[in-house]
Amino acid sequence: MSKHYSPSDSMASLISENYSLIHIMTRFGIKIGFGDKTVEEVCSIYGVDTNTFLAVVNFFMEGFTHFDKAQPLSLPSLMQYLKQSHIYFLSYSLPSIRRKLLDGIRVKTNDVSFFILKFFDEYYDEVKTHMEYEEKTVFKYVEDIIEGRLPEDFHISTYSDHHEQVSLRLGELKKILIRYCPEDADPNLINDVLFRIFQCEKELSNHCMVEDALLVPEIKRLEKRLTDNKDM
Amino acid sequence: MTDEKTHVIIAESSPIVSVGLSNILQQLPHSNIHVTELKTPSALMECLKSEHPEILVVNPYFGGYFNISGIREAYPEIKIVAIETARLDKALREQYNETISIVDDIETISSKIRNLAQMEEAADGKEPLSTREKEIISLVVKGLTNKEIAEKLFLSIHTVLTHRRNIARKLEIHSATGLTIYAIVNKLVDLSEIKI
Repeated sequence: MSKHYSPSDSMASLISENYSLIHIMTRFGIKIGFGDKTVEEVCSIYGVDTNTFLAVVNFFMEGFTHFDKAQPLSLPSLMQYLKQSHIYFLSYSLPSIRRKLLDGIRVKTNDVSFFILKFFDEYYDEVKTHMEYEEKTVFKYVEDIIEGRLPEDFHISTYSDHHEQVSLRLGELKKILIRYCPEDADPNLINDVLFRIFQCEKELSNHCMVEDALLVPEIKRLEKRLTDNKDM
Repeated sequence: MTDEKTHVIIAESSPIVSVGLSNILQQLPHSNIHVTELKTPSALMECLKSEHPEILVVNPYFGGYFNISGIREAYPEIKIVAIETARLDKALREQYNETISIVDDIETISSKIRNLAQMEEAADGKEPLSTREKEIISLVVKGLTNKEIAEKLFLSIHTVLTHRRNIARKLEIHSATGLTIYAIVNKLVDLSEIKI
């Protein structure tokens, strides 16, 4: 059974109980080393909206099964989180999987190993294109909305549904490695690659859930408010 | 397809029933189910505005008495399942697509959900490829377009596309590079023939 965290909980206990929350913290720009301070205190030091931080943490803790719409979210804080997630995937997580893969399968030209790496690179490009699209159109749009402008040419409902694709392909790579891994691959390195892929797949799907379930509804709410104001 | 997520909403105010069912659904083997748990009728109405679940599992006494005909009218495509915590009368049961009883075992729940979502038994590479399908893979790997494949094999483009869909489903591989890997390992092509 999952736990619901509140502003007065100690930030350190939050991580000790669930080490995977470290990632969420980092993406909000919060660094470890905060002593015995509470969630609320740490958030205020880093200029992060406590409600938004806890919404993501609790949403994550409850396996993305609960929508708690009572508290309004801070879009700037949420955007910071999402942008940092993109940086994490594109500049850290996926490149480090690639390096391990490269070491593990001993790539040779015109061999299965070569195509496995090619598959990975195609996947990386796909994720990159998707995230760049989000940054150029969706995030840009959100920034307009935050400043009270309602662009005519885009609505948040235009954007959805191509999320599934992103983690689907990583799942395919996982299956390919399990079934068709070259015989001369280094077992420990390949296992490591697989563990990282399993983890990354989960993280990407969590990331998409945050966008779909927290960002999109919040934007819809603001869109509605801006449209209503216009009509008045 | 095992990769595609089936979205199930559970509308039940009892956390014992809701969390229990949610855990069971998420752990069903060979199914990829995403669960949303909702505790109040207003949360359900709000959620249905933006989410499009395949299945709604609901306590018939949710919020007093669950307005199934209202939901059916507004969302005719959603399969609605009653949670049976106590014996439900026949007239009530018949309004639902299915009932899941709190005494059902996991096998039973699994098969009920599977039938409703029309999930196929997980292929897991067990279903063998036909000779024609193997032939098509080797042509894809050699870099031919669907149109070229159709011409070469005297098939309609529609038939080629159907074959490609079946290949993707059987192998759980959707990309040309993925098929190349499969083709090399299974010796459907010679390495020198592959187009990089």
